[in-house]
Formats: sequence, C-alpha cells, structure tokens
Amino acid sequence: MASSSTATERRGIPGAQFVEDVETYLTQSGLDVNSALSFLQERLQQYRVVEMKLLAQQRDLQAKIPDIEKCLDVVATLQSKKGTGEALIADFEIAEGIYSRASIDESDSVCLWLGANVMLEYSCEEATALLQKNLENAKASLEVLIADLQFLRDQVTITQVTVARVYNWDVHQRRLKQATAAVKDS
Amino acid sequence: MQQQQAGGSETEVTWGDQQNINQFGRLNNRFHDLEEEIKAAKESNENLEDAGNELILTDEEVVRFQIGEVFAHVPRDEVETRIEEMKELTTKNLERLEQEKVSILSQMAELKKVLYAKFGDSINLEED
Repeated sequence: MASSSTATERRGIPGAQFVEDVETYLTQSGLDVNSALSFLQERLQQYRVVEMKLLAQQRDLQAKIPDIEKCLDVVATLQSKKGTGEALIADFEIAEGIYSRASIDESDSVCLWLGANVMLEYSCEEATALLQKNLENAKASLEVLIADLQFLRDQVTITQVTVARVYNWDVHQRRLKQATAAVKDS
Repeated sequence: MQQQQAGGSETEVTWGDQQNINQFGRLNNRFHDLEEEIKAAKESNENLEDAGNELILTDEEVVRFQIGEVFAHVPRDEVETRIEEMKELTTKNLERLEQEKVSILSQMAELKKVLYAKFGDSINLEED
C-alpha cells in the first residue's frame, strides 16, 4: 500500500510522510521499531527548531507593522498641517521621563530612517508611498510566514500520530507474540 | 497544549482522519491566537473609553495627543473626533474577531464529533 502525503516540502521544511499502514512502512523503510521511533523523534526535534525560528520572525514582523502604521500617521498629520500656516507643536521624549517641546514648521518633505544608519529626505507624498509599500510588504511576508507555520504544525501533528501508531503497533505485536507463546506452552 | 493520540491496535488512521486531526490542530491554534487578539482589542477599547472620559473632564483647549512616538498639541475637538474614529475601528475589529471565534468553535465541535466517533478513547482532544 503506498503512503500518501501532500507537499513533500515547503521552503526548506521537509514534509512528513503519511503512513497508511504501519507494517508496510516498517518493511519499506527497512527499520525496526526502535530505529523508526528515534528517526521520527529526530524529525520532531528538527521541526521544533524551525518552529522557534519562524515564531521569532513572526514576532519581529508583528512589531514592525504597528511601527510603520505610526509613521504613516505622523506623515499624514504633517501633511494635514500644510497650508494652515500653523506650526505643529509636539512634545517628545529626550530621555526616560524627560520631554521637550518641538515646533515643526510647515514643510514639504520628511526624512525617513531606512536603517543601517541611513536617513533619506522624501517629499510627503513619496514618503507616504514608500511607507505604504513597506507596510504591504510586511503584511504579505507575515501571511506567508503564518502559512509556513501552519504547514509546519501539520507536519508535526502527522509525525506525532505516526509515532503513536508505530508504538501501538509494536505493543500489539508483542501482545500477539505473548499470546501465541502462551498457547504453545499451555 | 492539546494532545492527539491516535490508534489503539484496532482503528486504522486514514489520510482523511489525519487531515481532520491536522485541521483540528490548526483551528485550535487559531482559537488561542484569537483569544489573545480579543483581549488586546478589549484593552484598547477600554483605554480609548478612559481617554474619552478624561477629555470630557479636562478644561484645556489644547490636548497632547499621541501620534507615533510624540505627543502633538491638538485642539480638543480634533482629539475628540480622532478618539471616536479609533473607537469605531477597534469596535469593528473586536466584532470581527468575536465572529471568527464563534465560527472556529463550531468547526472544532464538529471535528470533535467526527473524531471521537471514530477513535473514541484512543484520541484526546481536550485542553489539559
């Protein structure tokens, strides 16, 4: 009986082979019960490692998205102040618990921090467009990441179920052997 | 963490069963994430309520309103409007999350029925 599985792997994550019949699986792979169990346990370990990595990436992205939204908010506020002739007065933190006041005059441009000690000046419209694009990219990456995590968890579940079935099959086999031995002896 | 153990020595696990088990796992994870999100949304709503109330009590004309990392000086009316808008957003978001939670719970109940029917005691789908 052939074993079926969905994707064999996804972005470097090996897919777990679904086992239709435990006995066939063991004969096909040529492993005895203990070797099969330790192979499956190893697989589970590998999955755990990848899961940790993906969860860390997910946390980073989930922190990044509100940040970008806040930046968009600020740029929008600056833009709305244009043409009113008023300066925007804002209080900002210069050290923990210490705030200072800034008066921001009307301006057509903002500077955006791009990372790696680089800051570039953009017009308000360009800045909004760039931030919007970054936001969409971050959201798309997050979706892909969540799909990866789901795939990974499915593979973990399949492997756990296989471990249980191999173990139970082994217990069943031992019981059968004991039963036949008992019959012989009696 | 929920445990899923399948197979006494009699019941065979088919690919369909495996897919059901996987689906149940996915739903359960999503359910826990949703609980977290709902908690955060409720907190956010409460904060906005408190902010709105404080606003009514204050007699200052210019309010320091947090935009991004800074507190901008914003006229009171504008602050009121902004808070209303934010409250509406959070409430809508909360509704959407609650609806998703209800749908997930019913899907999980369905799957539980199917899986317990086939596997009975060999499978455990409860939270421990």
